[in-house]
Amino acid sequence: MNSLNDYLPIGIQLIVALGFVVTTMVATALLGPKRKSKKKDEIFECGIESTGNARVPFSIKYFLVAILFVLFDVEVIFMYPWAVNFRELGLQGFLEMLVFIAFLLAGLIYIIKKGALKWE
Amino acid sequence: MNALLVLSIAGLAALFSGFSHNKKLAVIVSLLGLAVAFTVNVLDWNTAVRYYNDMIFVDNYAIAFTGVMALTMLLIVALFVDYKESVEVPNAEIFALLFFSLAGGVMLVSYSNLLMLFLGIEILSIPLYILAGSKRHTLTSNEAAIKYFLLGAFASAFLLFGIVLIYGVTASFHIETIAAYIKNANGQPPALLVAGMFMLIGGLGFKISAAPFHFWTPDVYQGSPTIVTTFMSTVVKTAGIAAFYRLFAYAFPAITAEWIPTISVLAALTMTVGNVTAVFQSSVKRMLAYSGIAHAGYLLIAFVSISSNPASSVLYYLIAYAVSTVCAFAVLMVIQHTTGSEEVDGFKGLSKRSPFLAFITTVAFISLAGIPPTAGFFAKFYLFSGAVKAGHLWLTIIAVLNSCIAIYYYFRVITAVYSEGTDSTPVELGTVQKAVMIITAVLAVALGLFPEMIISLL
Amino acid sequence: MENISAQITQVAPLEHYILLSAVLFSLGVLGVLLRRNVIIMFMSIELMLNACNLLLAAFSAFHSSAAGQIFVFFIMIVAAAEVAVGLAIIVMIYRNIHSIDINELSKLKW
Repeated sequence: MNSLNDYLPIGIQLIVALGFVVTTMVATALLGPKRKSKKKDEIFECGIESTGNARVPFSIKYFLVAILFVLFDVEVIFMYPWAVNFRELGLQGFLEMLVFIAFLLAGLIYIIKKGALKWE
Repeated sequence: MNALLVLSIAGLAALFSGFSHNKKLAVIVSLLGLAVAFTVNVLDWNTAVRYYNDMIFVDNYAIAFTGVMALTMLLIVALFVDYKESVEVPNAEIFALLFFSLAGGVMLVSYSNLLMLFLGIEILSIPLYILAGSKRHTLTSNEAAIKYFLLGAFASAFLLFGIVLIYGVTASFHIETIAAYIKNANGQPPALLVAGMFMLIGGLGFKISAAPFHFWTPDVYQGSPTIVTTFMSTVVKTAGIAAFYRLFAYAFPAITAEWIPTISVLAALTMTVGNVTAVFQSSVKRMLAYSGIAHAGYLLIAFVSISSNPASSVLYYLIAYAVSTVCAFAVLMVIQHTTGSEEVDGFKGLSKRSPFLAFITTVAFISLAGIPPTAGFFAKFYLFSGAVKAGHLWLTIIAVLNSCIAIYYYFRVITAVYSEGTDSTPVELGTVQKAVMIITAVLAVALGLFPEMIISLL
Repeated sequence: MENISAQITQVAPLEHYILLSAVLFSLGVLGVLLRRNVIIMFMSIELMLNACNLLLAAFSAFHSSAAGQIFVFFIMIVAAAEVAVGLAIIVMIYRNIHSIDINELSKLKW
């Protein structure tokens, strides 16, 4: 278990990756011609003139939907182990998963009834 | 286990009852759910069954503590009927969160796998973070929520790392397998396992607010709505202590030499810090928070004398503490509502305004202070005599000295009650409120007169 | 399972995983203790949880027992639930005081 030798490929990869980035950045800065003008220094945004600051607060509703999405999305990871062992777990496993889904569904019904998903 | 199912379903039922036009429905559903949960729980007595591939082991220990928590929450929910403090979250959600939290508590007292310990702590805590902040537009409540949340999550990460280290050594999350592994190690447990155990002590110590992990307690207790504080200082504390005790009674009995010194220091520090700081508090709510810390310190004595302090003395202590605390908080809620303050001065002249309330306050605080013939006295008596039997004389001496300090600050409230006050308008009490006060006060005295009722249970 | 176990310990011994997780965990602890921005404190806690996840996966492969990996799933779920509640609390506070600096919240003694 010679650990230092095992890390050698990773080290080489790291040096190559960093070296490439540093070399190209230094090279372009040194070799490329520089012309400064007002038009050239402007922020480019698909040809449209940019307006305002990018850090404007956006609607809190996005945030709410995002949180709810994360919650329901993550619960799915329990289904992978269950799906893999579907045959071994049999009917009992299926019923247990139904109970799990029922609890999730109750949560979904609750947030719909509360109007958390209404945009207006 | 059935209690766990009933509690989860009752939580959902309470949640959806909020959509009904009948505003009292949520309370009724909650009371009913708790009564059913308590009954099915008691029906399992003396069966000791392992559920879910041995994730949960429902023995008499689990049933007794589940029963205590369900009954305590029943009393707290009953207080909601006449509750006046503005909680800006609708009642139904509050009840649902309390139910989910209690479900976590039930997992905490019945786990036989460290996975269930972790899940139990999280299910207990996450609803509490929301409950602490349930006065949405009050800054103190916000602050309580964020502090409790950050420190709570921080502590659970430590708990988790401890569990992982123990798993790394023993290749199992099951507490009996871990105990067997430690026994085979012949008193020479691997360092990684001991490190994991100390991280568990830290994480659980935070939950029961043992010094030096107690800093969040006064702030969170003071900032939360009073009814939530009542829940935290009774049900949550019961669950935390029971989980802690279960862990050490089942998983680590073979290496007592490793943890007894640490827990002894924790116990001494916790009760001293709690009692000494409580003396300087002018707010009764904050004082009760510090007294809660102190009581956690007394309870830690049961851990170090685990050989001569059976689970029944912990159970008895927790019941005595829970009934007295619910009673004290019930009075505090009335004072808060009528005078608008939670200071000791708010209690002045109470004997003129309502002799009934004055009497109830006296019983509650006498029981908390541990003066005979109340339950608080016998609870301390059993605990301390167990500690002496196990040879922890110096710890018992510190505990007794601390109890004397405690008497001072509890009596400050009682003397305020019987002193002259400026306000003399009589206090109106709701029927249910009054009933809860009478039940808790009677229990505080009756359990003191017949301690065998509880002591013989486990 | 044995195959993976052999492979994992071939690439790097178990001690390295323990060390890496301990370092990540300590970074998380330092982040919580030193930073005053609630969101960053919160991210540090997530780092602590993920250090636990990494170590669990490593131990699980080392012991050839699946229990550790299942535990990781539970930690992920719990972390997601904590994120939801925590961010909701932070939004609530931001609406009231228009800041997420923990020092602004000092009405109660810390």
